Amino acid sequence: MLLELRDINKSFGEKKVLEGVSFCAEGGKAFGLLGRNGAGKTTAIRILMNVFPANGGEVLLDGRPIEYEKVGIGYLPEERGLYPKKIIIDQLVYFAQLKGMTRRDAVKAIDFWLDRLGMTEYRGKRLDTLSKGNQQKIQLITALAHDPKIVILDEPFSGLDPVNAMLLKDVVKEEIGRGKIVLFSSHQMSYIEEFCDSIAIINSGHVVLHGDLRDIKRNYVRDRLIVRTEYPEKIKADFGESCTDAENGALMIRLAGADEKSAVMKRIAENYDIDEIKVFEPSLNDIFVEYAGDAAKEDKA
Amino acid sequence: MKQFLTIFSFEFKNYLKNKVFVGVTLFLVLAIAVTMFFPSIIGLFDAGEDEPSSDIDIGEQNPDEDMPVILINSGSSEYAELIRTSFAAAFAGYSVVNTDEDIDSVKGKISSGEVECAFVMDSLTSYTYYVNNISIYDSNTLVADEILQNLYVMTAMMESGLSAEQAGDIMSVQIESKTEKLGVDQMQNYFYTYIMIFALYMVILLYGQMVATNVASEKSSRAMEVLVTSAKPNSMMFGKVMASCLAGLLQLVAIFGTSVICFNLNKSYWGDNMIINSIFNMPPVLLAYMLLFFLLGFLLYAFMYGAVGSMASKLEDINTSSMPITLIFIAGFVVVMIGFASGSVDSILMKVCSFIPFTSPMAMFTRIAMSTVPWYEILISIALLAAGVVGVGVVSAKIYRVGVLLYGTPPKLGAIIKAVWKS
Repeated sequence: MLLELRDINKSFGEKKVLEGVSFCAEGGKAFGLLGRNGAGKTTAIRILMNVFPANGGEVLLDGRPIEYEKVGIGYLPEERGLYPKKIIIDQLVYFAQLKGMTRRDAVKAIDFWLDRLGMTEYRGKRLDTLSKGNQQKIQLITALAHDPKIVILDEPFSGLDPVNAMLLKDVVKEEIGRGKIVLFSSHQMSYIEEFCDSIAIINSGHVVLHGDLRDIKRNYVRDRLIVRTEYPEKIKADFGESCTDAENGALMIRLAGADEKSAVMKRIAENYDIDEIKVFEPSLNDIFVEYAGDAAKEDKA
Repeated sequence: MKQFLTIFSFEFKNYLKNKVFVGVTLFLVLAIAVTMFFPSIIGLFDAGEDEPSSDIDIGEQNPDEDMPVILINSGSSEYAELIRTSFAAAFAGYSVVNTDEDIDSVKGKISSGEVECAFVMDSLTSYTYYVNNISIYDSNTLVADEILQNLYVMTAMMESGLSAEQAGDIMSVQIESKTEKLGVDQMQNYFYTYIMIFALYMVILLYGQMVATNVASEKSSRAMEVLVTSAKPNSMMFGKVMASCLAGLLQLVAIFGTSVICFNLNKSYWGDNMIINSIFNMPPVLLAYMLLFFLLGFLLYAFMYGAVGSMASKLEDINTSSMPITLIFIAGFVVVMIGFASGSVDSILMKVCSFIPFTSPMAMFTRIAMSTVPWYEILISIALLAAGVVGVGVVSAKIYRVGVLLYGTPPKLGAIIKAVWKS
């Protein structure tokens, strides 16, 4: 199963929100959709879910235009909310029925999920009597109860305590294991790194980076070195502006090109007293800041 | 369609589960039942007691303790006693007393409340009316004018040689008249038309606001975020509006149904009450028109309120943003009420209003009930209204689709129109 957004354009009035956005997500894998606030993630998700049409481009599943009636999509929105004054089981059944389930199937599936998430005791309670974390678990059921092929989770971990976060991780892993397309949108990079095999970063309506996360890291231009030493001053003096402070007291040396790295490493190892030297491997956080930070924006401008 | 039905039944059940909705309906049904049974309940208590004698002699000279007093100062007129008896006959329920006290003491008695009012005669054709507060319904001088005019004519006739009997015969001549109505009887249709217009007015305003609030609260609780990804906006909008329409209809049927049943159970007690009888003798054709105009008018306004609700991001915004719709509706109501109360239901303004979809439910219904409207006018009005409902429904659904995802300050009208036009 392959979900593909191809060359999506969308503007609201004069404002262009998405320009030529393309990315694809595979079944049985988690996909991370990243971007700063207002970058266009939610718009892309809404187009993907057919809430409103794109001005151009197409959404394909296995190469054919997606048939929304057949392919269930489960969505956990970033702005959480259900009916606060209504009985939990009633509204869960309602949402499942809206997604096309029969009442009987809906009740069965919801009872399964209430049990799975340890929420059975709240079945007949009003939503607003629950804590925020528990409300979020109820909301998760609206995204999963109809057994959708595509699951979209927007900031799923925010507001969950560590135990519940663990429970959610297990549930997400199960869903991925069942061959579903799981699409994450989050600012918590550690979760994305933990789950997602591939990512796309959207910045100001453009996809600025897209692909397999390991490949991205591997293909990341290896033109920086991390040096750990007791005597940083000498190296700093020697390398001038290309040497900056990195995390944990280490130094980062930016090279003129990736092909220089062996030579420079050799030179540093021979000339200075160092504890460690390695090629800089960026974390997802670093990649994100580089592609979606203010500097990236200015580059584009 | 399946989605529509799911939403429709969910929304409708919400009305049935709503304690206020159920409570108000039950209360009204009970209140009506009690009112309709009131005469028979009173009858139960009165059954054992003797009817109090009500044949009070209005010519009684001794003023009755309980009755308000009217003083008459006829000066030295020879007709003093004739005037008094004539007044006593005209003012039933008052005790009419002759006096020769001076004006100041009469005034004093009126101010102290001892006496209701006083007529001080200068002659048969001139008098002063003294009263403490003149109510807007005070017609005492009109009655007095008529009495005195008659007395004057009578005395004039007697003076010119006729006997008192002859003069009396001339004065009390009876005119025979017959009325054959070709159209409708406004008097007979008045009360139920009044009730129907008010019912229409209240139901549309109340339920319209409910639809708007309902949509806006889904937005503010962010249930909309999930809804909008689960259901088509059209299903959401139409499901909601239809559900509230059915709920409104159900409430009306419950209230009017109770009235009809209770009336029929107590028919014998209400036998001589003209108003109540005229209300329940409503022709079925009018009831059918009522239903039709209720449905169409309700849908028209509910769609608009739904669209307004979708544009608001907070519940507080509803009141201000629904103001224009409410104003149009109230303006229509006022026009209809004025035309209705004055009896001139076929004025140009009413005719125009009865073709404009926003006012036609009330205006055309009033005209049908209170006047004779050619069938083609009714047809045109209904066709225009139906077309209006469809048009407003389509536009509202478009606004709704755009509106439900908008948060923050409600957009300007121009921006809405632009967005809707584009979509």
